[in-house]
Amino acid sequence: MKWTFFSRKPRDARPVWRLVAKPDADVFDVQACPSAAVESAIASKYLLASRKHEATLFVLGMAKRGVLAGPDVSVVDDEAARRGVDVARIPRAGRGAARPAQTVSLDEMMLSAGDDCAQEKAGEDELACLIYTSGTEGRPKGAMLSHRNFLSDCRLIGGLCRIAEGDTVAGVLPMFHIFGLTNVLIGAFVNRAAIVLVPQYSPASLLKAVAESGASFLLATPTIFRHVLRIQQKRCIVPKGALKVCISGAAPLEKEIISEFEEAFGSKLCEGYGLTESTSAVCLNPPDGTRKHGSIGMPPPGIEMKIAGDDGVDLPAGAVGEILVKGEVVMLGYYNMPGETAGAISGGWLRTGDLGYRDGDGYFFVTDRKKEIIIKGGYNVSPKEVEEAILAHPSVKDAAVIGVRKNEREAIKAFVVAREPVEAEDLLRHLRGSLSAFKVPDEIEFRGELPRSLAGKVLKKELKETFMDLRLIERSGDAAGGAAGGGCKGQP
Amino acid sequence: MLLGELPEAAARANPDGTAVVFDGRKMTWKEVETSVCRVANGLGKLGIRKGDRVAIMLPNIPEFVFSFFAIQRLGAVCVPFNTMYKGGEVMHILRDSGARAVIALSNFAPLINEILHDLPALEHIILTGERSVVFADPESTVFVHLVAPKSRFASADEAYRKVGAALHDALRMLGVKDAWYKHRGSIRSKGRKMAGFVVQEAEDQYAAISVVFAGDFSVEEFISVVWVPQEIRDKVMEPLISVAEAIGRRPSFEEIRSAVSLAFEKEFGVRLESGSFARDEQFGYEKLRSLMGRR
Repeated sequence: MKWTFFSRKPRDARPVWRLVAKPDADVFDVQACPSAAVESAIASKYLLASRKHEATLFVLGMAKRGVLAGPDVSVVDDEAARRGVDVARIPRAGRGAARPAQTVSLDEMMLSAGDDCAQEKAGEDELACLIYTSGTEGRPKGAMLSHRNFLSDCRLIGGLCRIAEGDTVAGVLPMFHIFGLTNVLIGAFVNRAAIVLVPQYSPASLLKAVAESGASFLLATPTIFRHVLRIQQKRCIVPKGALKVCISGAAPLEKEIISEFEEAFGSKLCEGYGLTESTSAVCLNPPDGTRKHGSIGMPPPGIEMKIAGDDGVDLPAGAVGEILVKGEVVMLGYYNMPGETAGAISGGWLRTGDLGYRDGDGYFFVTDRKKEIIIKGGYNVSPKEVEEAILAHPSVKDAAVIGVRKNEREAIKAFVVAREPVEAEDLLRHLRGSLSAFKVPDEIEFRGELPRSLAGKVLKKELKETFMDLRLIERSGDAAGGAAGGGCKGQP
Repeated sequence: MLLGELPEAAARANPDGTAVVFDGRKMTWKEVETSVCRVANGLGKLGIRKGDRVAIMLPNIPEFVFSFFAIQRLGAVCVPFNTMYKGGEVMHILRDSGARAVIALSNFAPLINEILHDLPALEHIILTGERSVVFADPESTVFVHLVAPKSRFASADEAYRKVGAALHDALRMLGVKDAWYKHRGSIRSKGRKMAGFVVQEAEDQYAAISVVFAGDFSVEEFISVVWVPQEIRDKVMEPLISVAEAIGRRPSFEEIRSAVSLAFEKEFGVRLESGSFARDEQFGYEKLRSLMGRR
């Protein structure tokens, strides 16, 4: 049989989609084009309108520079106008608005939920949080913290600082970090103080939030205190005298900064010390008592601290050894890591990995770290994790990472042995893709080889020749005599 | 006392006292307690029970406070983590903790999306905040959006697969030999991002929103215009590579349009016909544009 009789020009049976191509679109189109198409497609279902096209493909070239910003993004309109950048603001999404597929909107979830929810029964020693913290062995470990851990810490530290109802705590420390979570968020709730949240830290925004809210407590890192003081001095802002107590943790703060800050703000600035594993702060220079510069203070009643030698024997005042902590603030252990837990806690004593001593008055001083951890801006960085990321670059043969002192801060320095010529910038780009910004080395030095011991271990001490550890404190417990930096320790 | 009881106790003792101040707005203990209950009930509806791990990837916004205490109210375990973490780091924590849900800023959705397949325990991604930032530049960016009914796909997964494959093919056609697409991730060359997209849903429609970096790009220029918090800036500034850098010249809009059209036609087995907006669409389009120009 011949079919040619019926055949026409071969018919294209494929469904038809619409193509909207605009070479001279703008940033408004980036949002408005697909949104208009989506709205119309949804409406047509209800209007039973017939649509010729099943789907639409937009290809948009830009004729002008522009920024498309969500409603919670702050745009500097003047700067945008000056630079000739269009600013398109995405309208706040209403109910049923487009959202990434297979996700739930928290706002919508809250709108359709009831106003009452009873507390699920649990014991105070049950697990409340898993907080991940970097150790020396690369990958972060989950510190298991119980309800009792948090509540004890907040009661003890809150008691020392006399935080109470009517006070306002400045919430600038990130609450995902143990210092902010325990001593700011939970601390404020335990002591019924208000929190003023500062989600986007800048010295100016913090100063503004502190002034406007009349905050009485500020917990922060040394960097933040330095910034705030500098801005205050530069702009000659006269702070309203609401601040009562400030607590600095995570690293040492210079004596001059402390006194200038206290003078300018009429507040006490106390240094303290804590770890993720101890549910944050375990000791503090008492706001109402003697504060010794360079010291991390002493633990409140309810927390015990001691110095132990390598053999685990308690050392007397003045002798340097490892700092150990005991009390209701000590974590339950590391999640799914019984070996690591046993190595960290024995007989209820938590090994901090920090070296230090106690003076005759019971004040503790940190002198060095036993572990190879780097603490940058309050975040623990594992040298091994950074080394592994560097070694993942095909041109790298060997690498070692150490902490170095840069201005007043600890910075990350990488020593790299290249397999073939490679630019530092190339390496950094590679690292930025795989590591958090704060873990990316501040400095890269290429070496022909790395100093290694007979056993093959990199001799990091030798790489450190020019490095002066901030935590090395003059061996005097005397507040007046201590010229060198004080000691605090960071958390994750 | 348990952590979850703190807001309730405070609300009972001092209902009208200030609990949280954010962006000039004061929330009382009663209001905070109500929000905590609402998040807790919402999580409960999703099936979160005592002992379940719920991760939080949020900056210091009220939603962090509500979520933290809501998780405690349910007797669940909270896993807060650093918002600056990148894919591999986030994956380790979500996998090690066995998190069943994560509460995150919407900006982090693409990051979580990309690692979802390695996280069998993760059932719910709960998003908040509208802090997305998109930069448009004549030299660098070309946007490719597909609006199609959900019925066209077996699942959102398939939508990701097909749109990713089409964009990947288009870039190959333009001469980027080593372009590759990781499921639910970006289209990359030399390990760097060349194009990225997200599949959004609204009722019965999907909208795949993509950006292709055709020419060289300087994010710095734009950063001065927008206040982008570090954790977001970090992800916006993911190492990029443009088509121009990969093939030695910036393809024209026509070349890109033609490659993209061919790739989508092939991937979806359809024929593309040039068209423009219908009347109702034009009306909606203009309304939206004027809304977006307003502060």
